[in-house]
Amino acid sequence: MAWRLLTSDGAAAAGGLACDEALAQRAGAGLSPPTLRLYTYRAHVALVGRFQDVEHEVHLGSCKAAGVEVNRRPTGGGAILMGPGQLGVALALPGRGDLSALRARGLMQRFSTGLVAGLAELGVRASFRGKNDLEVGGRKIAGLGVCRVPSGGLLFHASLLVDLDTSLMARVLRTPFEKITARELGTLAGRTSTVRAVLGREVALEEVRAHVARGFARSLEVVLERGEPAGLSREESAQIAALERAKYRSADWVFQRTAVPDALGAARLRAGGGLVDVRVALAGRTIKAVHVRGDFIEDEGAVADLEARLRWHRAEEGAVARTIERWAERHAGTLDPAALTRAVLAAVRRAEPAPTAQREPARQPPRAPARQPHGCFVTPGGPRG
Amino acid sequence: MHRESDDERPFDVPADRHYDGSRHLWAKREEGSHRVRVGIDSIGLESLGVLAYVTLRPGGSTVARGESLGTLEAAKMTSDIAAPVSGTIASRNDAVLRDPALVREDPYGAGWLVEIEPSDWEAEARELVSGAAIPAWAAAEIGRLRAETPAD
Repeated sequence: MAWRLLTSDGAAAAGGLACDEALAQRAGAGLSPPTLRLYTYRAHVALVGRFQDVEHEVHLGSCKAAGVEVNRRPTGGGAILMGPGQLGVALALPGRGDLSALRARGLMQRFSTGLVAGLAELGVRASFRGKNDLEVGGRKIAGLGVCRVPSGGLLFHASLLVDLDTSLMARVLRTPFEKITARELGTLAGRTSTVRAVLGREVALEEVRAHVARGFARSLEVVLERGEPAGLSREESAQIAALERAKYRSADWVFQRTAVPDALGAARLRAGGGLVDVRVALAGRTIKAVHVRGDFIEDEGAVADLEARLRWHRAEEGAVARTIERWAERHAGTLDPAALTRAVLAAVRRAEPAPTAQREPARQPPRAPARQPHGCFVTPGGPRG
Repeated sequence: MHRESDDERPFDVPADRHYDGSRHLWAKREEGSHRVRVGIDSIGLESLGVLAYVTLRPGGSTVARGESLGTLEAAKMTSDIAAPVSGTIASRNDAVLRDPALVREDPYGAGWLVEIEPSDWEAEARELVSGAAIPAWAAAEIGRLRAETPAD
């Protein structure tokens, strides 16, 4: 089977997202071939997940000051920072055959094999973790997402961290911390990895891109054919431009709101040599993210694995306890699972509505922030795709 | 039959309704009414994983079978919710918009999504799985799900 390969650099937020969605729409309708697009953004962009509230995920003032565009992905998950050092992967497929409508977990893992194979060629041993991450040594190196568009087409999205400006990420994406200190930056960096960090050299993004393309071709048994000079047909370009104007440049799309309330909670756990700080971010009764921090915790990879397992997880007692027990089987001796479970559940119980004072003034008049001592955070484990 | 998820509840596929065989939406004609209530079945919910967000089109919207009733996000997959039957959306369940966990807790009761005033129920119902065909279809779908679900 032959797929088209498109490569590009210098995308802007709205245009990059419109291209991905339009190609999936057209693939589903049989108007465009299956396409693997490997691209980077011209400058840093902050992209929230399909249903997230922008003001709960992103520091809009910091984004404006740093020239970081903000937009909304068609795929789910949390807010991410993309830019010249992160490889965007978009796979647009017809979505027929054995790929039926609801098989999210299987789809995610199947698509991830292309990235895993490409990284392996480079010497990076990544593996699929939990619901939607690729990790190396417990640290996240890529985030994954799948979207089925109305035409039936499938869009597989991934963000591969070739490099990462952790400091900028902490400034523009909301984190667990009101003030970002060197220690907090170290914690954020400890939850993620990059291709350059793993290889210990300044690998060129073009080299990573070539390996990822070969990885997809080999693992999914397809032949990748380069698109013609411009890469896109005239019809495709017109549809992308129309979608960019109508959707991805629309404030109604970027700043849309969800009916599911965001909430934040915190608890402390006494363990080993000191206190462990546990913070949770909730979307209704779903845990969006958990952050666990303790000065004496030596195995940051184990903590990153715990946070990944509890991301987008039901906030119910039994489900949380079982997940932490399974985590403890793999990381014996890191933290007492029963005490950790109690702390996570206490943070869930104490969660209060996310502050709204920093919402877009034009769309939401400022209100007094809810009583919540820790500020708002959503992506304590680092960027997700 | 038992699911292998973290809540270990059995798959429940009631025989009193119709199912869209590939999209895992159920449709049930309400007693004493022409309306058809629609929701997601337990196999579809297991396949999706944790359901984080749901949106639904407002009452009064007209949909054809296969067209979008709304959207959802679960385990980072976003998707349209395809109508199992054609008609006009008579009402939607606003409670699941605020609390999507209701869908998993009670998929055939409080977790319903919309009620449709069907335009061609008799013909379209024949395209759905129902009655004696349900057990074999459900067993095959559960088998496929287990084969595709990666181990944690």
